[in-house]
Amino acid sequence: MSFAVGVLLLAIVTAMACALPGVFVVLRRSSMLVDAIGHAVLPGIVIGYALTRDLGSPLLILGAALAGLVVVLGAEWLGRTGLLTGDSPQGLIFPALFAAGVIAVTLNFGNVHLDTHAVLVGDLNLAAFEQWIVGGVSFGPTYLYVMLAVLAGNIAFIAIMYRHLTVTTFDPGFASSIGIRTGAVQTAFMFLVSVTVTAAFHASGAILVLALVVVPAATAHLLSRRLPATLLLAVVIAAGGAAAGFGLAYVLDAATSAGMAVFYGLLFAVALAIVKVRERRRHRQRPTVAGPSSQLPHPHGLHPHRG
Amino acid sequence: MSTPTAARTRSLSVAYRSTPVLRNVDLDVPEGVVLGIVGPNGAGKSTLLKAMLGLVRPLTGTSEFFGRPLSQVRQRVAYMPQSASVDWDFPATVSGVVGMGTYGRLGWLRRPGRTEHEATLRALEHVGIADLAERQIGELSGGQRQRTFLARALAQHPDLLLMDEPFQGVDARSQQAIVAVLHAMRSQGRTVVLVHHDLATVRDYCDHVALLNERLVAAGPVGEAFTRENVRTTYDVTDTDALADLLT
Repeated sequence: MSFAVGVLLLAIVTAMACALPGVFVVLRRSSMLVDAIGHAVLPGIVIGYALTRDLGSPLLILGAALAGLVVVLGAEWLGRTGLLTGDSPQGLIFPALFAAGVIAVTLNFGNVHLDTHAVLVGDLNLAAFEQWIVGGVSFGPTYLYVMLAVLAGNIAFIAIMYRHLTVTTFDPGFASSIGIRTGAVQTAFMFLVSVTVTAAFHASGAILVLALVVVPAATAHLLSRRLPATLLLAVVIAAGGAAAGFGLAYVLDAATSAGMAVFYGLLFAVALAIVKVRERRRHRQRPTVAGPSSQLPHPHGLHPHRG
Repeated sequence: MSTPTAARTRSLSVAYRSTPVLRNVDLDVPEGVVLGIVGPNGAGKSTLLKAMLGLVRPLTGTSEFFGRPLSQVRQRVAYMPQSASVDWDFPATVSGVVGMGTYGRLGWLRRPGRTEHEATLRALEHVGIADLAERQIGELSGGQRQRTFLARALAQHPDLLLMDEPFQGVDARSQQAIVAVLHAMRSQGRTVVLVHHDLATVRDYCDHVALLNERLVAAGPVGEAFTRENVRTTYDVTDTDALADLLT
């Protein structure tokens, strides 16, 4: 497998792995929590790297993901004390953790070779550097297989927990009333997000991972009206945008994750424009929305020129 | 000893941080009645339902249903939250939301089958929105949203239904449809508890009433408990005109 194809596949699989849980993140309105997790996992990654010497190590990913969960649970606990409101508990915890990670990186703690640039936006080329070679044949970057495992894990989790995730996301009070342990579902899901964000960190950095998780899902949400369709569309948008973003970055010789994030932003803007135009057209066709249907003007009556 | 109770609370108290919301509420809900919980804004009406169901943790006190703790009789109890508490832009259809009413019986791995599908369909028909089954929930009117929530609760086949403000933002037709369902439930011996804010319709909709303002002021059959004096105490009004306004 050529190096460029390996990077392209890595970009696509990473984007798909992020977009899938992203749908529930968007529906739960916890996008900023992902940003917090993306930052908070840094010290976990630095320590994990010092111990394992491998950014793709499953142990490092799980360990750092636990650090991400510290933000989720810590913020919930601080919120329950009632002393802070809104998302300020998150804002209290993650900068401190991120800063600790930055200091550890600067001090070259345990000879970690991470520069601040890679921490912010990631480096797909570096991530794809280590190839899996069997009998002299390259099977692509080993990191690709880590991300494939994360993608498979996300698919399995969502498939098994689909009803629980849906009902706790839509109506947590009702979910509790029928005996679903809403808090446990939420924690398990946030751990999954944390694992995904940690795994994707290598490819996208602490900041742009938010774009991979949230933007394809938000775009899909704008364009679809059934949850299965939203999930499918998010994955398709993620993959398409990753390929296009990779192309953009390749031509401009820029960071791949930046190319992807810009492309996702453009896709979202286009989707928003389509939805707005469609809405306006619908309003123009149905000026008496509140009236009984028999009094609605015939849709063609407004456009006699259409025949 | 006495008539069987569908729900009972004993010295139930709830506080949000240091502000008390409910104080020592002892409420008995007899089986087979429609009981309205009334009281001014901030009286703790919704909180009472949530505390009974364990959705907010009470400071003191206990709740039981049909003489048992909730965990043993969960299948017999349904809860209908305020429709404003959820995001109606959620990508789901009406039948998808109503189908959630069958999840409690399904457990972890069993997928909804024929029984669940039929329960969903019957519930949709019962509240008169079968024609909206495949509609996206964001396109519903206020009354249709409440009927969707009611259908979801009916799909649970509850013996006791706890409803939080079921008539909020509802047109007259939906209101009639909801009341008809509640009275049908009562005639089958099932029990309904609803948080209600319109005192003028209490006599039409409910046969029992609980007047609440942090404390339980009075509770019992409408004829005995729903007196001008009790309403005056609950709403803390001294002026007769203001009282008349409340009651019409």
